[in-house]
Amino acid sequence: MAERINRLASNRRFLLAIFSSENDILAATADARDRGLSIADVYTPYAVHGLDKAMDLRPSRLPWVCFALGFAGAGFKVWFEFWTSATDWPINVGGKPWNSLPAFFPVTFEVMVLFASLSTVAAFLLGRGLLPGRRAKLASPGVTDNEFALVIEETDATFCLDEVTARLRVMGATSVEERVEQESV
Amino acid sequence: MPRQYEQLNLPDRTLAIFKWLAVIGGASFVLGLVFAPQRAWSSFLLVNIGMLGMGLGAALFIAFQYICGAHWAVAIRRVPEAMCAILPWAAAGVLLSLLAGKSLYPWIAKPPHGMKGIILDYTFVIGRAVVFLGLWLWLIRTIVARSRLQDRTADPALSARNKRSSAGFVVLFGLTFWMATFDWVMSLEPEWFSTMYGVYHFSGLFLGALALITLLVIWLQYEGPLRDVLTHEHLHDLGKMLFGFSAFWVYIWFSEYMLIWYANFAEETGHFIRRQTGAWAPLFVANMCVTWLLPFFILLPKPVKRSPRMLVKVCCLILVGRWLDLYILIYPSTVGFESVTFGIWELGMAIGAPGLFMLVFVRRFRSAAPVPVADPMLEASLHHHQ
Repeated sequence: MAERINRLASNRRFLLAIFSSENDILAATADARDRGLSIADVYTPYAVHGLDKAMDLRPSRLPWVCFALGFAGAGFKVWFEFWTSATDWPINVGGKPWNSLPAFFPVTFEVMVLFASLSTVAAFLLGRGLLPGRRAKLASPGVTDNEFALVIEETDATFCLDEVTARLRVMGATSVEERVEQESV
Repeated sequence: MPRQYEQLNLPDRTLAIFKWLAVIGGASFVLGLVFAPQRAWSSFLLVNIGMLGMGLGAALFIAFQYICGAHWAVAIRRVPEAMCAILPWAAAGVLLSLLAGKSLYPWIAKPPHGMKGIILDYTFVIGRAVVFLGLWLWLIRTIVARSRLQDRTADPALSARNKRSSAGFVVLFGLTFWMATFDWVMSLEPEWFSTMYGVYHFSGLFLGALALITLLVIWLQYEGPLRDVLTHEHLHDLGKMLFGFSAFWVYIWFSEYMLIWYANFAEETGHFIRRQTGAWAPLFVANMCVTWLLPFFILLPKPVKRSPRMLVKVCCLILVGRWLDLYILIYPSTVGFESVTFGIWELGMAIGAPGLFMLVFVRRFRSAAPVPVADPMLEASLHHHQ
């Protein structure tokens, strides 16, 4: 109970800065990173190259899902084809051996691609919590159009609102506003 | 003030090594003609087809960049341009094999009947070879010359003209290259045929050229001219292309193999049976490993594609695979499939060809600025990022 009250008491405060160009958001994000500010997220209308480095994001773990499931898919399919055409119901096709690996390859390849791609998309959606019915929470409506938004979290008492706001303006922010996120009870 | 680029300056010792390698290659060929003519001609054809592939692959690389309007490789374009310098040498080698190495081609002594006899008419084959090689050399020369002219005139219209010539070259290459591989390599076994043969050769030559481009840019960065020019971002893109074309090679290889295995026609399967059973079987498997299996798994992680140290190893592996691939295509047909023949003639020419290549490459590379200084897309290429 005490913990819950604590959480309710500490509303999270964010600073939302809007930029109008790709170069500005890249420079401002790198600047915020270098100043040790806590970057909550960056919203852009399209994928901006180099943003992952500017935000200091760690490498994505999705390739591991892709590799593991691709491998599993290929393994499963080889076993399945062996089981169907050589063990459970052997069929003589053109006098070929029942267990004919070259004939299995194309389908194995396809199933590997299918498993790898679907599992990567599924892992991404699950990992981000993007399930059907989820409502989009937009930092600003403009990020779907022509605006680039940098969100900085005010982490502790040493965070100087005026100083950071001034710095963001220097970096080219067209508007800077503070947002308070109410923890829902 | 325009940026200054350092020219390639090699110690005399390095050049001497290249010269000695070339001399060893030449000596192996000449002595081989005396002691083992069939092996000497086979090996000569092998290295010339291989070097021709490097030059054509480099030209295709340049052409693809122009056609796509890609900026990333502009800063390293002088490397494939200099690689094209090997083309006249390799073209002469291929012609010499056709004119003098007659023992390689069984259809010269025993002309086939019917349609095949018309296609494999000796004068017709020589004529085609001259026309194909002449057209390729002329178009590639034009493209490279315009790129160099741009250094002096800074005329952006030259890029546009090169874009058109590149499109022309790619179409011409697509229409002629498969016939060339039929004439020069597939006809070593005139009773065998495969319509996948041309595209199979293309997949190999482009992969090999990519590996050589990657090796050379890393070397030139180490030596000076591409220092502060080549970045991890360029290597990342080259790594991705290597990975992709290694997979493309095995895809084409398997497309050819599986159809022949499935249909199981006696006149088609012989080619593969001679190579995958008996003495050649281990090399057949080794080719698959060094050209595809190992590069594929090594190049999967992103950090490897950005690491010069790892890329050098993978590229060496692929280049060994390139030689092995051509060895497996040529030797069982011309020297014999009962046993694997490898000795000083093969080894001498296999190390001699890179020596000659490097001599020609270094000379051509030094004859122009190390980067296309006046290309409109150079700045974008220097600051390329993923």
